[in-house]
Amino acid sequence: MYKLFLKIAWRNLLKNKVFTLANVIGLTLAFAVAILLSMTALFELSYDQFHTNKDSIYQLALSNQTPKGTRTSTASPVPLAPSLKNEVPGIKQITRAVSEDALVTYQEKELVLDAHYVDPDFFAMFSYPIVLGNGNHPFSDKRSVAITERTSQLLFGDTNAIGKTIYLLLGKEDRPFTISSILKDLPTNSSVDFQIAIPFENHSDYAENLDVWDSNFHEVYVELDKGVSADQFEKNTWEFTNMHYSENIENLVRDGAQPDANNQYKQFHLLPYTDVHFVSYASGSIQVQRTFPYLILGISFLIIFIACANFINMNIALSEKRLKEIGMRKTLGAIKGQLFFQFWTESLLIFVTALFLGLVLGNLLIDPFKILFNTEATLANLTKPSILLGFFVAMFLIIFIAGGYPALLLSKMNTLRALKGKWEMGKNGIRNVLIVVQFVIAIILISGTLVLQGQLQFMRDKDLGYNKEQVISIPLNGKKDSYRVINLLREELQNNPNILEVTGADNNLGRGRDGSLSTSKWGFDHKQRGVTTNILTVDHDYLKTLDIELLSGRTFSPEFKADSLSLVINQAMVKELNETDPISVKIMMDDSIAYTVIGVIKDFNFQKITKEIEPLTLFMNRDWDLYYAYVKVAPGTLSKSFEFLKTAWEKIEPNAEFQGSFLDENIDRTYRREKMMTTIITSGSILGIVLSCIGLFAISLLVVAQRTKEIGVRKVIGASVSSITLLLTKDFLKLVGVAFVIATPIAWYALNQWLQGYAFHISLSVWFFIGAGLLATVIAFITVGGKTLKAASVNPVDSLRTE
Amino acid sequence: MLLQLNNIFKWVNSGGQRIFLLKDINLNVEEGEFISIMGPSGSGKSTLLNVIGMLDAFDEGEYNFLDESVHTLKEKHRANLYKEYIGFVFQSYHLLDELTVKENLEMPLLYKKFKGSERKAMVADMLDRFNIVGKKDLFPAQLSGGQQQLVGIARALISSPKLILADEPTGNLNSKQGEEIMELFKQLNNEGVTIIQVTHSEKNAEYGSRVINLLDGRMI
Repeated sequence: MYKLFLKIAWRNLLKNKVFTLANVIGLTLAFAVAILLSMTALFELSYDQFHTNKDSIYQLALSNQTPKGTRTSTASPVPLAPSLKNEVPGIKQITRAVSEDALVTYQEKELVLDAHYVDPDFFAMFSYPIVLGNGNHPFSDKRSVAITERTSQLLFGDTNAIGKTIYLLLGKEDRPFTISSILKDLPTNSSVDFQIAIPFENHSDYAENLDVWDSNFHEVYVELDKGVSADQFEKNTWEFTNMHYSENIENLVRDGAQPDANNQYKQFHLLPYTDVHFVSYASGSIQVQRTFPYLILGISFLIIFIACANFINMNIALSEKRLKEIGMRKTLGAIKGQLFFQFWTESLLIFVTALFLGLVLGNLLIDPFKILFNTEATLANLTKPSILLGFFVAMFLIIFIAGGYPALLLSKMNTLRALKGKWEMGKNGIRNVLIVVQFVIAIILISGTLVLQGQLQFMRDKDLGYNKEQVISIPLNGKKDSYRVINLLREELQNNPNILEVTGADNNLGRGRDGSLSTSKWGFDHKQRGVTTNILTVDHDYLKTLDIELLSGRTFSPEFKADSLSLVINQAMVKELNETDPISVKIMMDDSIAYTVIGVIKDFNFQKITKEIEPLTLFMNRDWDLYYAYVKVAPGTLSKSFEFLKTAWEKIEPNAEFQGSFLDENIDRTYRREKMMTTIITSGSILGIVLSCIGLFAISLLVVAQRTKEIGVRKVIGASVSSITLLLTKDFLKLVGVAFVIATPIAWYALNQWLQGYAFHISLSVWFFIGAGLLATVIAFITVGGKTLKAASVNPVDSLRTE
Repeated sequence: MLLQLNNIFKWVNSGGQRIFLLKDINLNVEEGEFISIMGPSGSGKSTLLNVIGMLDAFDEGEYNFLDESVHTLKEKHRANLYKEYIGFVFQSYHLLDELTVKENLEMPLLYKKFKGSERKAMVADMLDRFNIVGKKDLFPAQLSGGQQQLVGIARALISSPKLILADEPTGNLNSKQGEEIMELFKQLNNEGVTIIQVTHSEKNAEYGSRVINLLDGRMI
């Protein structure tokens, strides 16, 4: 019996080649893309889930009630962790951690490694398995370090690394360390990524800050004792904070800050470690947002939905032709169950084929996909039993519902009506709903695409207040003193007319090829009021190199000897200081040193464009290291100058990799997330539209088939081809119109929410939505128009000959 | 002379053989005639009617309608021609199920771009003439077969055609209803409308002024 069903199903699918093909292609595409997208989403969601103790590990964050509202930060001072462990009960283990680049030397080799400075508890808390060395205590003493397998391969090749001595550049001196353990390579879904773990005491800022409570530069992770809740622990810290931060709190009160709901000015929060990857402090308070992975999951679900709706609609469309068969089978004694099973077999055949092809296609596309979407996700991440089970349950449900619904409709047909070929479907309710939903999805995705592309373009084109096209920034990752490197660069480059300026600073603009982003802030009291500013140490010619406009006063100059005590500030800082004439204003930054403001520069976007321009103060102090060199080149010969620069660099720092890049590339790199989202939504909307159109096309076939007689009659009594085409198309356009009305408010709300996350953003004009609606309408019209035009041109004799 | 068919041939090719649907048809129809086309199933009656109604093309021969040579006309002109002068009545009525009686009657006028007020007047006139004013808001499914055919004829007549082509207009009706319809045709013919009907029934054929017999596509 079942063999027969399969045979009939196979023949039927062959008979309707166009539909079978359209279904298989549509479903295959949908499955392939949905599998890839879900893979990305599940990978994102799997971040840090591999730690055995993940449920009791927390990241420590401190929220401050400032006069401007709540500000939360995870940066902590050195003495915090030991004091907290001693004074507040409930901590099982605690570790400080800070990520930094470390310059490692072994014999002739010189490498910049991602280093993680941690306390010994780190390895007992987190699950980073040790391959070689001593168990849970990778650091045998304070001069020993742990490296990953890949790093070991990099440094020592295949020889055993344990016990070997390497040199680390800490501050300004090379110091020897023994390798005591080899760690398994870190999983890609770990939010912490390092190549070498170094005992925290060796950090260059450790010793001088041992008892300093207001220099915050590292993170603290806490594992609580069993039975201690995060809430309880947070309450227990009140007394601790009020004691250790008393002076700071007094200042906050003086400046007019309001306490939080618990009447605290400073409050420790425990952020579950599995939330760390998704946290944002942009609004001042802790916000855990998993929107992005869920958005991707949502899109893959929508795509599957569109394809399934197509399948249902197409199958119903096709059934029109099979009514006689159904009637016949019923008179021959087929019962409902058998008919259902027969039709369902056909659906099953298509779905299983599409699923198989989708998996194959997904696998083939995985590499380009990973590059395009910049993800480390692999299908291997998905081969967990729970995910596989979920996948099969989902597939079964999809096949059961999408494949079963048309089968159920058909098997329920009244025998006599079926024989007569009368199709009474109850006014196409389901069909219209499915089409409207498809187009709602398509219009939302299209308007999303338009707005995202618009915002991305806006951010790229925006005048950031400095010259991003002509300036190359180079991370100073070599061993030489930064000022010396910059001077050497100046000498090396001065004879090339295409190199215009050379300068340096201790921070990059945008995200360079070294991948680092950092902010340095400084708070101090000015006229009995707390003031915070971003700080940046620069070399001579910084403004000239970057074309930043000087509004008043002067900039740093070699003619003035005391410029290490001079400040150049931006407009936002002028406002922060609340001075009408800021030039020559004295600022006591540390209690003893008085700085003088010598110049005011125009605001420029030195941080991500999502942020408002914050106060910024430029320093020039030879005792403070620079980390980036900036080189301005003449327009027109950009790539030639770049090559020239690279050669010069290799001469000056032969052991350090040249990581220079143009600032506009750096800025583009900070838009990674936006670009990824735009790519996903764009491809989702294209796929959504293509699939919806396949479906719409099928429906237009159905409608034409249903209305053949009517078309004939209308033509006989005088309707023209165009009026009939319009008549048939109108119904579909109406559905698109309804979809537009439903989709626009949803899209508007969602996109508006999204844009609010950007301090500088495009305004949400109605044209984005009208554009999306028009696009959907035009595409729908083209899809439906062709078929209906053909139907309208048919000789009415043919359609009326059914008597 | 209303229309003239000269040596009309129509065929289809099937399995390498040419099968004639119409073979050397010569026919002159004067205005005011009432012609019945008779013959067994498959003899080409409906095909001939469709050719006359310009719904179907032919392969050879000449067709003149009111001094226009139909065989040389473009599709669009041909459509205009039959829209203007010909009304069709079908065996299975072919009313639009989702429109009411009134709306069905109005449909041809819409396609001929009559003004709203004119359409209203003409529809009211027709409803009145056929005594179906009371049924104007009913749907076809709510009418008996005879009443549906009545609406069908009213629709064919509404734009005052010169020629009515009726393909077995009483085929789906009982004898009493059939008689009424034929009486109606007779009356219309007396009012000057030319009618060509296809029929199986000798009795119905007698209403006409002339009978054309077809066999295997040939006039006999």
